[in-house]
Amino acid sequence: MLGAAAAGGGVPHGDRLVEFAEAVLADSDEQLLRARSALRGSLGDAALVDAAAVVGFFNAIDRVADATGIPLDPERVPQTADFRAALGLDAFTQARS
Amino acid sequence: MNPAPYEAAPLEIRADLAAAHRRARDHLARPGAWWDGRQRVALIAETRHALQCRLCRERKAALSPAAVVGMHDSLGELPEAAVEAVHRIRTDPGRLTRSWFNNVIRFALTPEQYVEIVSVVAHTVALDTFARGVGIPPLPLPDASDGAPSCHRPSGARPGPAWVPWIEPEDLTEAEAGIYPTARPPADIHRAMSLVPAEVRSFFDLCEHHYLGPLEMRDFGREYRAITHAQIELLAARVSALNRCFY
Repeated sequence: MLGAAAAGGGVPHGDRLVEFAEAVLADSDEQLLRARSALRGSLGDAALVDAAAVVGFFNAIDRVADATGIPLDPERVPQTADFRAALGLDAFTQARS
Repeated sequence: MNPAPYEAAPLEIRADLAAAHRRARDHLARPGAWWDGRQRVALIAETRHALQCRLCRERKAALSPAAVVGMHDSLGELPEAAVEAVHRIRTDPGRLTRSWFNNVIRFALTPEQYVEIVSVVAHTVALDTFARGVGIPPLPLPDASDGAPSCHRPSGARPGPAWVPWIEPEDLTEAEAGIYPTARPPADIHRAMSLVPAEVRSFFDLCEHHYLGPLEMRDFGREYRAITHAQIELLAARVSALNRCFY
């Protein structure tokens, strides 16, 4: 999920969803108009609302995690070691803070 | 017609989601534990204003945010340390560090005030990002309610592995009842804001309606939204990667 997330990770309509998430967090209104329209066309209005809600919540909860300096839950440390290494997540500022 | 506060929205908004947003908006406008209603509404406004701050843009573009000094473009309603916290949490959360946090609270803010700021910013980001996603204007600033902050500090809160003190489940009192799930130990993200319990309740109420409830998120035999569990998790993962959120 760190790179361009080509093909949306094998999830149905994943490419549209990833484009939408990226556009919501980016500055370009034009990019967002295109992504929103594509998502609506593929999945419909209800999916757009639910996708926007998920993007909104994770954009918020990431800030709670980062601003309070919570560590990774202890049971997740061994569970996630392989993909943290593979994706370079351990290089994130919070991982070192 | 959609339920309030989305009567004018050009597409159907789920009633439970609209109701959650009404509760969140009302919660934000009421006196909190450490900031009064007027200050909390000012925190919402400052969260929005941070996106236009020149210092924040320059810091975001810099290799290290600490390398850029200057004054924030603020609305002037809040103490300088609160403005610094709001702007950094809003505009560059992935590069916050413990030393930055220690500086913010060293002189001007208590950890309790800081946690409440984190919550108000997070609530605002959730609602405003949703509005941007569906293509509607952000909700208007709420009218602040009168009254003084409660100044309630949980007696069981103590330092842990996070930057801020939190409450372990065994230290909960009646005053904090219901802030944690009952079926399993709370994850660290659930404990993160427990220094101000009312903020945990409100934020995780939003969680259930933006994302999924604790039972729904693990029930892979049924879908609860117009997008599947897999599609929800794909969105969550992409957003967190873009934010460079390690947790």
